[in-house]
Parts: sequence; structure tokens; C-alpha cells
Amino acid sequence: MELSLLVFLPAAAAGVILLLPRSMEQHSRWVALGVSVAMLALSIQMFFAFDLNKDGYQYVVDKKWVEIGQFELRYILGVDGLSMPLLLLTTCLTVVSVLVSFSITLRPRAYFASLLILASSVVGVFVALDFMLFFLFWELELFPMYLLISVWGSGRKEYSAMKFVLYTIAGSAFMLIGILVLAFAGDTFDIRLLSAEGRIADPLIPLGWVFFFLFVGFAVKLPIVPLHTWLPDAHGDAPTAVSVMLAGVLLKMGGYGLIRMCVTMMPDVAQDWDVWFAAIGAISVLYGAFLTLRQTDLKRLIAYSSVSHMGLVLLGIGALGNTGLVGATYQMLAHGLVTGLMFVMVGLLYERTHTREIARLGGLARQMPLIASGMVFAGFASLGLPALAGFIGEITVFLGTFQKYEWAVLMSIFGVVLSAGYILWMLQRVVFGPVKHEWDGVTDQRHWWEHTVVIGLVALVVLLGVYPDLMTEMIEPAIDSIVLRIEA
Amino acid sequence: MLFLEAAPASAPTIDEAILWAIMLCPLVAWGLIAIYVRKIPVAAGYLAILGVGAACVLSYVTLFNVMDADGGIAIHSHEWFSAGDLVVNLGVRVDGLTAVMLVVVTTVAFLVQVYSTGYMQGDAGYGRYFAHMCLFTVSMLGLVLADNLFQMFIFWELVGLCSYLLIGFWFHKPSAAAAAKKAFIVTRIGDLGLLAALLLVWTRAGTFDVTAIQEWATSGEPEGYIVTLFALGLFAGAAGKSAQFPLHVWLPDAMEGPTPVSALIHAATMVAAGVYLVARFFPVFEASHDAAQFVAWIGAITALVAATIALVQTDVKRVLAYSTISQLGYMMLALGTFGYVAAIFHLFTHAFFKALLFLGSGSVNHATNTFDMRQMGGLKKYMPVTYWTFIIGSLSLAGIFPLAGFWSKDEILLDAWRHDRALWAIGLSVAFMTAFYMFRAIFLTFHGEYKGGQPVDHHDEDSHFHGDPAHPHESPWAMKGPLIVLSVPAIAAGWLAYDHLFKDFIEAALPHAESHGSTFEIGIAISSSVVAVAGIGAAWAVYMKRWVTSESIRATFAPFAIIFENKYYLDRIYEDLFVRTIFHRGWNALLQANDRYVVDGIVNGSGRLAREASSRLRVIQTGQVQSYGLGIVAGVIIIAVAVITANPL
Repeated sequence: MELSLLVFLPAAAAGVILLLPRSMEQHSRWVALGVSVAMLALSIQMFFAFDLNKDGYQYVVDKKWVEIGQFELRYILGVDGLSMPLLLLTTCLTVVSVLVSFSITLRPRAYFASLLILASSVVGVFVALDFMLFFLFWELELFPMYLLISVWGSGRKEYSAMKFVLYTIAGSAFMLIGILVLAFAGDTFDIRLLSAEGRIADPLIPLGWVFFFLFVGFAVKLPIVPLHTWLPDAHGDAPTAVSVMLAGVLLKMGGYGLIRMCVTMMPDVAQDWDVWFAAIGAISVLYGAFLTLRQTDLKRLIAYSSVSHMGLVLLGIGALGNTGLVGATYQMLAHGLVTGLMFVMVGLLYERTHTREIARLGGLARQMPLIASGMVFAGFASLGLPALAGFIGEITVFLGTFQKYEWAVLMSIFGVVLSAGYILWMLQRVVFGPVKHEWDGVTDQRHWWEHTVVIGLVALVVLLGVYPDLMTEMIEPAIDSIVLRIEA
Repeated sequence: MLFLEAAPASAPTIDEAILWAIMLCPLVAWGLIAIYVRKIPVAAGYLAILGVGAACVLSYVTLFNVMDADGGIAIHSHEWFSAGDLVVNLGVRVDGLTAVMLVVVTTVAFLVQVYSTGYMQGDAGYGRYFAHMCLFTVSMLGLVLADNLFQMFIFWELVGLCSYLLIGFWFHKPSAAAAAKKAFIVTRIGDLGLLAALLLVWTRAGTFDVTAIQEWATSGEPEGYIVTLFALGLFAGAAGKSAQFPLHVWLPDAMEGPTPVSALIHAATMVAAGVYLVARFFPVFEASHDAAQFVAWIGAITALVAATIALVQTDVKRVLAYSTISQLGYMMLALGTFGYVAAIFHLFTHAFFKALLFLGSGSVNHATNTFDMRQMGGLKKYMPVTYWTFIIGSLSLAGIFPLAGFWSKDEILLDAWRHDRALWAIGLSVAFMTAFYMFRAIFLTFHGEYKGGQPVDHHDEDSHFHGDPAHPHESPWAMKGPLIVLSVPAIAAGWLAYDHLFKDFIEAALPHAESHGSTFEIGIAISSSVVAVAGIGAAWAVYMKRWVTSESIRATFAPFAIIFENKYYLDRIYEDLFVRTIFHRGWNALLQANDRYVVDGIVNGSGRLAREASSRLRVIQTGQVQSYGLGIVAGVIIIAVAVITANPL
């Protein structure tokens, strides 16, 4: 019941917002805020009520939905230790993205409605336990994303939005084939059943291909090199809130899918493939980092650094061991918060200076000490400073993978130096250095919502950095059962 | 509470809470300053002094407690988090080495904070300064208290963060911002080795625990090359933080930070971290002679390279900076020649006289508004306290009997002599140069005629200089006091060598209580003393009596002088050749071109398709919100109806 609420509440609120009369359109943000805070509260409550000692999914809703021939599509929702933290991340960042959009004036009703539908669909992806339902949510997310980028974006926004959509759809086409083959072979769409041992027998096409199809669908989202070029474009042209959602949760759908579907349903194939996971992961880490060093636009810089950081997720999955998988999951959470914060800071900067061109900025620590401090904090979180969230994810991935793929890890740790390079290079040029009189007028002067968002995210990044057990205790059992399945 | 008795003799009985409190006191001070600094900046200085002072008192309590236990070991460890098979602990370990480091760090940090209240008076970032200084102290204390490598790595990186924040304290100066970045990145290159060592030891030994790693390395169970790789990884990290050749380039630039920060970095925190790390895992280096040999030679090269550069510097702070690098080279040389005691002893004495010298140079700067020795001279009569304490520090650094530096440097040279005569010869020549460049600095700064200092630039709103450089004056008591206090250990700290006091205490921290080097031999002592006096005499002859002018010496040895003055061209090679040309314009640009034209080119092949598709899709893109809204609502309704009709919730 809670999960159904989480999925449909924002969608329903979107409907309400769209029905608001024009004279009340400025109130749509309050509706959006109310709903997203309610979602957050609910998911926090669920998080703490989650029974750590129980195996399998909790808060399960399982209803008959439609029957198509021999197939039954069911409406199944549920969360386990893998999806619960991601769900919480989604609701957190939904509040963040609503708050950072508080000053929006262009068509606020449509904007907030789109944002909430986006939240609905992402929540749906993380909690759906019927493969077709999962796919529907996966596709549903495209629609609001397309609108949000192409209407409220900047630069070549139509191009970027279309690129994003086409890329995902191309991936989804592969994924759909994979899903159908699996469903036929397993005679069900129920993810729980498909994950059980010995369920998938006699697939229409070799299981290796099925694995590949699903992998492509998820890898586009993650993204991996060389399927990543949509990401900088989408980020570069999207409004702040959308960047937060995109980097913070949408990319995680890819990592989640890989663990939940590819690895768990086809562990034998995964074991044949894991070396590719490690290799592609390491290449993504390095390639992303090298390209980050060449970026001149703040948002594209963060986008490329995301490619690098998400490569670690793939690397951790490639270990196919409990430490690596926990690390990959943790890295997703950490990256969501840290990159979310990074985009928020850049958004605040952009609102004041109207440029994201690194060369034009500089010396801002004088005019906006608080935003500068926030940037420094986010930067150090992003380069994996200990006692902050990113470090735990990174080091756990490294430790979990080193035994199996020493070479891949030894390649990836160079990312540690490169990330220090691009972050500090960016900070030096944007916030430090002599004061530029071009920016004399700009100030920190801030609204309460900006304050709230930054402090909240900073607190979470620190919390996950010093108290990892908060999450790992929940993630571990879920990962353990997956590892058990791999080793069987 | 897990209580491991590693040393059966007797373990220090000190309460675990006190050990944590040593770290927490400055941390709390940091937190309070960070929260309230904007409202009451004046309180920041006092809060910092209070926090670090409390940690200092507790450190002495710990020291005496460990002394009562004859240097035994106590470990308190707790589980921090687990991720699958990975279990990470958080703990404190106290033994002779930890106790000495605690005392050094907190004592120097405390005196530096007191001094800073005078030096930083009137700076716009006064509160921020003290907050960072507290955090710096916390990081270093966390590092020396840690009982496992994982935790060490955490504080190790935090030390790096704090150095970044403090070196770049005057961030509006491009040189400061660049120096801060350089320090962090160069040390992080070394940290790659430490990280690799961390991964290796976890994979092979399955533990991060210091004691367990020491046992693992010496057990003979792992293959020799694994231990060597592990040791070299640790040393790579140490070489970054402790500014060993060829990663030393960040340290001279770190002068961009406020001078008290330099004192802290050079004496007690950052650069001590690397030496401490190697000393902490000393048994690992004992188990791998290849690694130890490498450490010794890198140390010797570092000592020599830095000393030669120091000979030609014109900035008093840079002379001190290169002398620090050179002395760190000595310490590594000692560790590589199995002179564990000598290395820590030198770290110990060096901390006091180097802090003294840096604070002294800050005091000079306070009067003249410059660090350039060519604009100074004759300050002896204006600043007697600064002068005499600076003399004490220099004599100690030069290794003149019976000051502190004499005893510790002597032990190093003795260990080198026993191990390899070539290393000893390098060490001895460095001792000559040390004496020479220090007294060169003294004669240029304090003797002769005063040359007026640097006029105050009244347009620079960031300058907080409020004296008159034309009429230099002695510094206030907040600054003089620490100088006087520090000159006591700069004279006497070496006397702890008496009756193997220091040696026995420190050695108890090692798993095997075998002897690590002897402490005194008259031949070595005489040779190094002669060399040191000769160095002072040479400086006196050139810079006081001018029997030979420095210009003529420079002309005679021109090729060398040019190499020294250009710092062996390392910065140019790293920055211009490697980073800018090969890396940024070459490799990265190539990848970027690949990304744009190959990867995205393929995409845009289908991208052209995308554009066609978009032109068709444009038909339904009416631009009217209502129609979009309609679509959204319709979609939601369809889904909702489908779900509900299929099965009501």
C-alpha cells in the first residue's frame, strides 16, 4: 500500500496541478513541495520500519492486472535492501529538485507536473517487481524528461532532448526483446520468480544474447563508454532540477537494472561476462576523467565526471562478490547525493552569473563566500575525500574488486588523481583567484529554499561518509542473497 | 571493548576516553568556530588555543602513562562498518611512537596557535584560519592515533585537505590558489601508491590492523615481492606527503600560505606524516631489504638535491623550505638504513627547531613586510629576541654540539656509516651545506645594513600589514613567547639521547625488541661537527667578511648554479612538458577529438535519423501547454484506469 502511494501520489498531484486555474499557477510549486515532502516522509518511515532480519521483499503488493493470452501481467511492487536505499535517494532528490525550481516562472504548472510524473516513474522503476511493469515505468520516464529538457532547458535543448530520448529508446528496444525472451522462457513476468534458480529454461535465443540485450538497455542509462555522449548534452542543456534528477537517480536505474536483472536472473552468463564489466568499468572511469579535464562548461564537466564515477559502479558489479556489489550500490547512493549537490551549486551560480563558462568565472569566493564554500565541499566530496560519502563507495568498490581484477582496479585508481586534477582545476578557476569586477553585483543573497537544499545535502553526504552502516546493513542481506545465487 | 595486549610486559593503562578526547578537543573547537565564527571572530583564536591546549595537556598525560608502562602498547578497536566480507575498524593505538608524535604535534600546534593570534591579527579570514588550523591538528592526531591502515588513510587524506585549505588560505592570490592545488595533486600522486598498498594488504593479508600487518610481513608467509610491493606503495604515499624527490616540488610552493601554517606543515603535521607512516610499518621495511635500500637512496638524493637548491635561494622562507626537504631526506635515509630510532629522534628534534625557525622568519616578515633577504639585513639590533632564537634554531639545525640537532643528526650519520659509506658521504656533505645556507641566511637577514624591507602597498585590501617596514620593530609577546619557549627544546631535546632514554621508549613500539642502531660514536660526532663548523665558517667568510664574493663563486660554478637556481628544472618538466603539452594538449585533446568525431560521429549518423524524426515529431509539438497537459493527464488516467479496472487496490 505504501508503495502504491509513493508511485501514484506524485502522478495524482501532477493531475491536480494541471487542473489549477491560471491565476493560481504560482501555487503549483507548493503543491509539488507538499507532495514531495510527504513522499520523503513516507519513505523515511518505511526505511526505518524495514525489517533487517527478514529475507526478500517487503511492503509487497501483488495484484492481478491484465491477462494477455497465456501471460498474466501482475501489478507487483516491493522493495528489498537493494531498492529501498535507492527509493529513499529518489524521494530525497525529488524534494531537492522541487526546491531548486522554486523560482521558476515559465509555465510552472506544466513544469511541476512533469517533475512529479518523472518522480512517479522513477519510483516505479525501483519498486516494480513485474518485468513488464518495470518496463512501462522505464519508458514513462522519457516523456516528462523530454518535455523538461526541450521546454525549460537552454542551448541546443531540442537536440539534446531528442538525443536523450532516442538513445534510451534504442536501448529499450533491445531491452524489450530481452524481457520478452526471458518471460517466455520463464513463463512469467514476475521478477521474483525469474530470479529463482532453474526457472529460465530453453530460451528462444541463447541466454548470452538475452543478457547482452538487457545489458545494452541498462548500459545506455548508466552510461558506459562509448554509449555516453547523450549525457553531457542532456546535462548541459537541462535545467538544474532535471540535472539533479538525471544524475542523481536516472543513471542509477541502469546500475539497479544490471544488478537486479542481468546479474541475478542470469548469474551463469554474468560470470562469463564479468571481465567485460571490469574492463568497460575501468575504461569508463579513465576515459570519463580524461575528458572531464578538457571541459570548459561547468555542467558538461560534471556530466563527464559522472561517466567516470558511474564506471566504478560497473567495476564493482564486475567483481560479482558481496563487497564489490555493496560498493557499487553505495557508490550509486553517494554519487546521487554528491553530484546532486554539485549540480545544485552550479545552478545557484548560474542563476547569479548567467554563465557556466569556466573561463569567464573566477574569484567568486569573495562575492559569494557561501556558494564558494558549497562548491569546495561538493568538489572534495566528488574527488572522494574520506569522511564523505563518495569515499566509502569508491574504496569499497576497489577493495571488493581488487582480488579478482587487479589490473582493472589499478587502472581505475588513476581516476583518483585525475579527479583531484579536474576538481581542483575547476575550483581554482571558478571560485579562487583575483576578484573579477564583472561579477561585482552578485551576492550570496539567498532564499530559504536554497539554504535548505544545500544544508540538507551536505548533511547527508557527511552522514553517509561517517556512518556507512546506516545503508550497508540494509544493502548487505539483499546482496548476500544475490551472491548466493551467483555461487550456486 | 576489544583490548589487545600486544606487549606482554605491561600495557599503558591510560583510559581509552582520554585518547579519543585528544582528537575530539580540537575537533569540537573546529565545530564551534565553524558555526560561530561569522558572529564573533575574535573568539576563534581563543577557542582554538583552548582546544589544542587541552589536547596538548592530555598528550603529556598519555606520554607519562606510556613511560610508566615502559613503552608498552595498548589498542582499543571497534567495528566501524562492514560491506560484505570487508570489515573496517575504528580504533586507537598508543605506544611510544604514538606518544612522542602526540606530544610533538600538540606542542608545536599549540605554540603556533598562540603565535598566530599575533601574526594573523587583523586578517579578514581570522576565524576561518583558526578553524582550518584546528582541523589540521585533528587530522594529524587522528593519523598518529589510528590502529589500522584504513583509518590512517582517512586521516592521511584529511591532512591533505587541510593543507590545501591553508596553503590556499589567501585564495585571491593566483599563486596561492595554484600552490594549494599543486600540493594536493602532487601528494595525491603519492597517495596512489598508498591506496594500492592498502588494496594489496587487504587482499593478501585480509587485515588493516597495524600489528597484524607487521606480523604478516615478517612471518615469511607472503612472497618476498609482495612485501616489497607493499612497502614501496607505503613509501610512495610517504614520499608525497614528506616531500621526497621527485615529489618534493609542492613543498616550496606551499610557502604561499601564512607563515605559521608553514611552521605547522614543516614541523609537526604534514611532512611528519610520511616519516611517521614508514616508521609505523618499519618491520615491513626490515622484511624487504630491497624496499629499504630504495628508501635510503631516495632519502639521500632528496637530502642532497634540496640542500643544493637551498644554497641559492634569496627568500628566507624558501631556504627553510628546502632545508625541511633536505632534513626529511635525512629521516628517510635513516629509515632505509634501519635507523628507526634515529629517524624518529630527528623528526622529534627537527619539529622544534624548524617550527622555531619558521616562526622566526614570520616575525621578520612582520617587521619588514617581505621574505626577500636582499631587502633585509641588520635586523639584529631591531629584533634581538627574534635574532637570538633564530641563531639557536640555526645552530641546532646545523648540528652544533650540544644542541638538539647535533644528537639526532649524528645518529643518522652513524647508521648510514654502518650501512653504506656512500650514503654517509652524501649525508656528511649535506651537513656542510646545511650549516652554510643557514648562516648565509642569518648573515643576510640580521647582519650588515638594513635595506628597507618591502614598502606597504596600500591599494592591496588583503594586506593586513600595519607596521612601517622602514622602521622595523620587534614582534609582540604573542609571537616572541612561542619563539622563546621553542628555543628550549631546540637546545635540549637532544639530551634525551642520554642513557638510551628515547631509544628504549621508541623501540618498545616495535614487535621485536632487537636493537636498531647504536646511539653514539665519537669519530662520527667529530667529523660531522668539523664539517658543520666549516660550513658556518665558509658562510662567514663569504657573507660577512666577503673574502670571496658570492658572485665570483657563482661565476666559477655557473652551470651548477643555474641548475640549482632552476630547481633542477623539475617544475618545468612536470608542468610545461608533461601536464600541459603531453597530457592536456596531447593525450586528452586526442581523446576529446575521438569523443566528438568518432563516438559522437557514429551517434550522429543515426543522429541525422534523429533529426528527421524530430522534424516529424514537431507536428505534435504545438507549443501549447494545454495540449501537453492533456497528454499527461490522459496518460495518467489510462494507467490508473488500467490498474484499477484490472484489480481494485
